[in-house]
Amino acid sequence: MLLSELTTSVRRLALVGLAKNTGKTETLAALLRELDAEGRLIGVTSVGRDGEERDVIDSRIEKPRVRLGAGGLVATTDALLSVSGIAHTVLENTGLRTPLGVVLIARLRERGTIEVAGPSAAEDVRAVSDAMLDHGAEQVLIDGAIDRRAASSPAVTDGLVMSTGAVLAPELEQVVSLTAGAVELVRLPLLEDPAVRALALGEERGRRGSSTLVGEDYDTLELAARFALSSEEADIAEALGSSPSAHWLIVAGALPEPFMQRLLRARRGRDGELVLVVADSTHVFLSERSPEWYARQGLEIRTLTAISLAAITVNPIAPQSHRFESEPLRAALAERIGEVPIFDVLDPDYISATRATTAPL
Amino acid sequence: MPSEIDLAAVKPYADHRGDGLVQLSFTLPVPYSLAARKAALELAAKMGFDEPEVVHYEQLTEGFTYFVMYGACAHTVDFTALEGEGFNIEYMTEDEIERFAAEHVGRTIVVVGASTGSDTHSVGIDAMLNLKGYHGHHGLEGYRSFETYNLGSQVPNSVLLAKAIEVGADAILVSQTVTQQNLHVQNLTELVEMVEAEGRRREMILACGGPRVSGELAKELGYDAGFSKGTYPHHLATFIVRELAARVASVG
Repeated sequence: MLLSELTTSVRRLALVGLAKNTGKTETLAALLRELDAEGRLIGVTSVGRDGEERDVIDSRIEKPRVRLGAGGLVATTDALLSVSGIAHTVLENTGLRTPLGVVLIARLRERGTIEVAGPSAAEDVRAVSDAMLDHGAEQVLIDGAIDRRAASSPAVTDGLVMSTGAVLAPELEQVVSLTAGAVELVRLPLLEDPAVRALALGEERGRRGSSTLVGEDYDTLELAARFALSSEEADIAEALGSSPSAHWLIVAGALPEPFMQRLLRARRGRDGELVLVVADSTHVFLSERSPEWYARQGLEIRTLTAISLAAITVNPIAPQSHRFESEPLRAALAERIGEVPIFDVLDPDYISATRATTAPL
Repeated sequence: MPSEIDLAAVKPYADHRGDGLVQLSFTLPVPYSLAARKAALELAAKMGFDEPEVVHYEQLTEGFTYFVMYGACAHTVDFTALEGEGFNIEYMTEDEIERFAAEHVGRTIVVVGASTGSDTHSVGIDAMLNLKGYHGHHGLEGYRSFETYNLGSQVPNSVLLAKAIEVGADAILVSQTVTQQNLHVQNLTELVEMVEAEGRRREMILACGGPRVSGELAKELGYDAGFSKGTYPHHLATFIVRELAARVASVG
């Protein structure tokens, strides 16, 4: 099955990489080729910048270009649209400012190669995606940048393709393990308890609400503002002390790793588990330990909405560094991760499958 | 600009227009010799210089030779294709910034800055924020329209963000030395993602600065602006007051 077939029902599809040069833009280019061959009307935007000739940090690295068919929709800046030289009709000036200019929504009147740089903020990404759907796009592809994942929040998009690759680590086993960790984070389990869900969704509506401890009997203790960002170990111990039956902690906003570490220390000597509740996994910032590790220490993380991980793409080459064989890397990832389809869109097998499916009759 | 200059085919200018003359210097790991001189000439030709000329060469140390050369650059660039890139900002002076802020923002502008993560360099952030400033341009602390908080270096993203929310920051300024390793870049993207997770992305201006930070990199990182070498506090202040004024205008 092709990547485009697998993701065909995802109206707003986020492409997120685990680092630079994991092949997000190659994935986007492959999707666009396949969708163009099927004659589908697609909208494209990027939270970063796509289709530039050379890498912004390492100019030795050439980047894939973004080709759109005639009729395709794009949210990119005024400057990049005019530099592209492609005939287009501006449908909307969003007024959104970026370091590369103001974002316009345009319909291309001819096939062409274009640099795409849309809005960065998640809310704005959602707005331009919906605008492109309103203008007739059947599907909108939202390319990520570097390792940014905010656009994969269910508040913004309906599904995710994750890109990983050799660039993550010099050893194949490390790449597999880091990727598995990222997948574990994306697929954090949902919070099931309906009463706590109702409490947390109340928080969520306010979004600015304070973090809240919830006890076995659903009694609540509202915590100080910015609790998960800045509270010290002593603050946490005091809060836990005044809510001895606390079983859930509804986290308003971000859940950073330093808080997890302080929470662990503050809970030393306590039995039972504490379930941390976040809006979705893009609110969780762990770089040292995995959710599973914290779970073993009695700290479970649960989400209110799940992210649908449609597929993983792999770039077996780390530019200017090392490379792995594509097939063994995909096999090792599949064995470790399971369920999620894994593609290398530049592998000769995948390319010939694309040709077989999309060749003109 | 004189009309004879062809902006679609720009090349360096030394003695007369279009001569393409460039001075370059480099060291080769070869002994000081006539062969070394020939190697330098050959290399310069490969770099795309016509009529390369060695004007000076000397032994640096045993086995190393230093060269100063001239050559005529054979290549041109199309400047007309680049002018639209959107980074041509006309900067205001300090007085203009104060007047502009009073007129278009009408309240004190709060800026919180830090060098984040493991970065120990606070020079950049100090130059932008502290009264002392840099090269005779004092930092934002010295502006009547700004209130600044400089948290120093090695500040975790969560601490920086907590402070920014606490003081109601209009802008966060992060200084970071970006290298080809992913580490620093990931620290910069993490801050943006945390601001998103806190639901504050639309109300905070995010700016990053560092030796390798360009507008293009800032865009990829998710920042509203990026500043590099040669930036003075009034450049940063110009950006912040204009951006805030634009946001005030689009809300009101």
